[in-house]
Amino acid sequence: MAEANASRPTKANATSRQDQKQADAITGLTLVAPAVIIFVVFLIVPLIMALYFSFTNWSGTRPLDQPDAYEFVGFDNYERWVVDGRRVDDFYRAVRNTVYYVIGVVPIQTALALVLAVIVNQKWLRAKSFFRTAFYFPSITSSIVVSFIFLFMFSTGGPINAVLDAIVPNYENIAWTTNNDGIFHLLIGNFGITEDTVGLWAEAEIFDIEVWDWIAGPSVALTTIMALAVWTTTGTLMVVYLAALQGIPSSVYEAAEIDGASGFEMFRGITLPLLAPTTFFVITVGLIGTFQVFDQIYVLQNDQTARTTTSVAYLVYATAFEGTSPNLAEASAIAIVLFIIIFIATILQRTFVGGDQANT
Amino acid sequence: MLNRVRLIVAVALLATIASLTVAQDDPIVVRVWTGSSSPVENEFKETQVAAFEEANPDIDIDLLISPDYGTQIRAAFASGDYPEVFTVGQFDFPTWQNDGLLALGNDNIENADDIYAGLRDAFSADGNLYCPAKDFSNLALLYNIDAFEAAGIDLPTEDWTWDDMFAAAEATTTEEMVGFSAAADKFRWMAFFYANGAELFDEDGAVAFDSDVAIESLEFYQSFVTEGFGALPGDLNAGWNGEAFGQGSAAMTIEGNWAIGYLNDTFPDLNWGVAELPIAPSGERGTLTFAECWAVSSRAEGDLADAAWRVANFFTNEEGATQVAEAGFGVMPARTSVGSLWLETIGEQYSAFVDGAEYAIAPIFPLGFADFDAAANEATQLVMTGEEDVADALEEAAEVAREIQEEME
Repeated sequence: MAEANASRPTKANATSRQDQKQADAITGLTLVAPAVIIFVVFLIVPLIMALYFSFTNWSGTRPLDQPDAYEFVGFDNYERWVVDGRRVDDFYRAVRNTVYYVIGVVPIQTALALVLAVIVNQKWLRAKSFFRTAFYFPSITSSIVVSFIFLFMFSTGGPINAVLDAIVPNYENIAWTTNNDGIFHLLIGNFGITEDTVGLWAEAEIFDIEVWDWIAGPSVALTTIMALAVWTTTGTLMVVYLAALQGIPSSVYEAAEIDGASGFEMFRGITLPLLAPTTFFVITVGLIGTFQVFDQIYVLQNDQTARTTTSVAYLVYATAFEGTSPNLAEASAIAIVLFIIIFIATILQRTFVGGDQANT
Repeated sequence: MLNRVRLIVAVALLATIASLTVAQDDPIVVRVWTGSSSPVENEFKETQVAAFEEANPDIDIDLLISPDYGTQIRAAFASGDYPEVFTVGQFDFPTWQNDGLLALGNDNIENADDIYAGLRDAFSADGNLYCPAKDFSNLALLYNIDAFEAAGIDLPTEDWTWDDMFAAAEATTTEEMVGFSAAADKFRWMAFFYANGAELFDEDGAVAFDSDVAIESLEFYQSFVTEGFGALPGDLNAGWNGEAFGQGSAAMTIEGNWAIGYLNDTFPDLNWGVAELPIAPSGERGTLTFAECWAVSSRAEGDLADAAWRVANFFTNEEGATQVAEAGFGVMPARTSVGSLWLETIGEQYSAFVDGAEYAIAPIFPLGFADFDAAANEATQLVMTGEEDVADALEEAAEVAREIQEEME
């Protein structure tokens, strides 16, 4: 039909084809319109507004219809928080906490999700749906509720310490939720290495934070929050892996079996490569999610641990809504910087973790 | 065709006239917004509104009790379309006042002199009172009577000094209990700060946050922890002072009257009392106050403004304060004339909270000093977790304030 039209074009045919194209376009646009409108209104517009207000001094409360609602201050907000202003130490401390959090959580939750998915995908496993539900359960529970349960479990006199006390001889209760000591500091402290013994370089300051503090590692309190995060998100990622696993045709495994491949060889040679696109997805989602960690921090931090547990996303919230003079413009600036950090991290990950494979 | 146009015009005219006449009889609608607190308190707010509407048939109140008040009202402010009457916390007051959101109170407020002086200061700017305080809370010293008796020492008295308090903490410290639960919160130790005669700024406006009396007050607060007779609530297996005190991990702590309901509900067997904070080496007492006010929107004009002030006054005048007192939940009525009535409702044993109102200070950092506020938080945390000594920490915070002052000039 198309060939016939092409070989002998007539005016009528051309018009009707054009009509058809137009109609298709309209149908297509109509079908994607709801998604596009939602995307633009709730994501693109707020993003542009945040960018816009980050260059102003708008407090967030002064009515925007007033002529003096705000003034443009250029890069002042960025300078104050990110370059060399009074709040750079707060910002970079939050960056440090967040980076430790990401580095700790993403690999563990990805590996754990994969292992769990492979286990619950085994044919010989009984009560499969029980395990699947059990692993997935933390993900569908409200993170605020889960955080409170963790707070109870990890409290100084709570079940975790009680269990450890029963198992470990001479165990001294650990203040899981309030200890500010970095775990790297604690580790090297065992070998007698402290700030006083390592030399003067440790006292040098980068962005108003001592090098020694940069390399502290996540604090005990932050590590507890990281454990919570791994526990809650692994289930979701496991389901993603599970769906991908079930998409691998069994004939591939059967062929490998005939060739005499062992279980581990099949896992390494078939499962892992075929799951690469899924792994890329899981790591990307994990990176973005962990860089934006907020609710667990909101519940689990307190005055004692604020300095070692505040994440960048939490800092955005605190700057916009807490304290004596909340400031939405400054919060927007931090949020934009966070956006840039996540953007760069995702691109790096795409380059190094095989985003190209994901595309094929 | 022409007839039809005439008909439409006539109908439209009639409708306009009709709506105008109806409008005159229609009550004025005043939007009232506040944050959600305990169910009892929310119910009380609804009763107050109902009572107002019954007494004032010409005004209708459109009440919103928001569970996320801070965010919701800020969004409303930004849009420029915000309620006529709303609550303002003391820490938001400087910003909101400066943003021009609040109508000037002064003569619109009924019998303002009856409101506690500290609360008038908290809601004043440049000598003008903007909004009448709704209710407030003060810090006081909570003590565990059983712990004091077990240690064989006297309960806190009228003339208790800092040294007496420290000695009591030492005496009541046992294996299971420390003498004092000391949160790493500047809005606890600063009660001692003000008692000792310290100030954020001295009379000349110079930063005095690291003055000797200031250092002395934080050193005293910290000494409970460093000497082993006190601990941070987190280390006592508690989320806050009140919990540590309630579960018997601390013999004393500093909290406000919001702890009354919590302690009596959650720990009914706890045998506790409350005293005014002890006398500082300066010979004075001090405590911190936390309050909210009912403000009227600067955008309400004419009849609407009058109606809005009638609503705000109804909630806060002597009658309104009497209702707060008789409702008898945690917060205290903001007027001196009804303090005793509140005690009658809630119990005379809590008189220390009311007595503190005489000298209480609302610890508000002035506009533009947000970084100083943050630095003061950090200083408190560093000192209480033992990471820095008091003089250095306070000096660092004070330096921030001095830097801001220089920039402002």
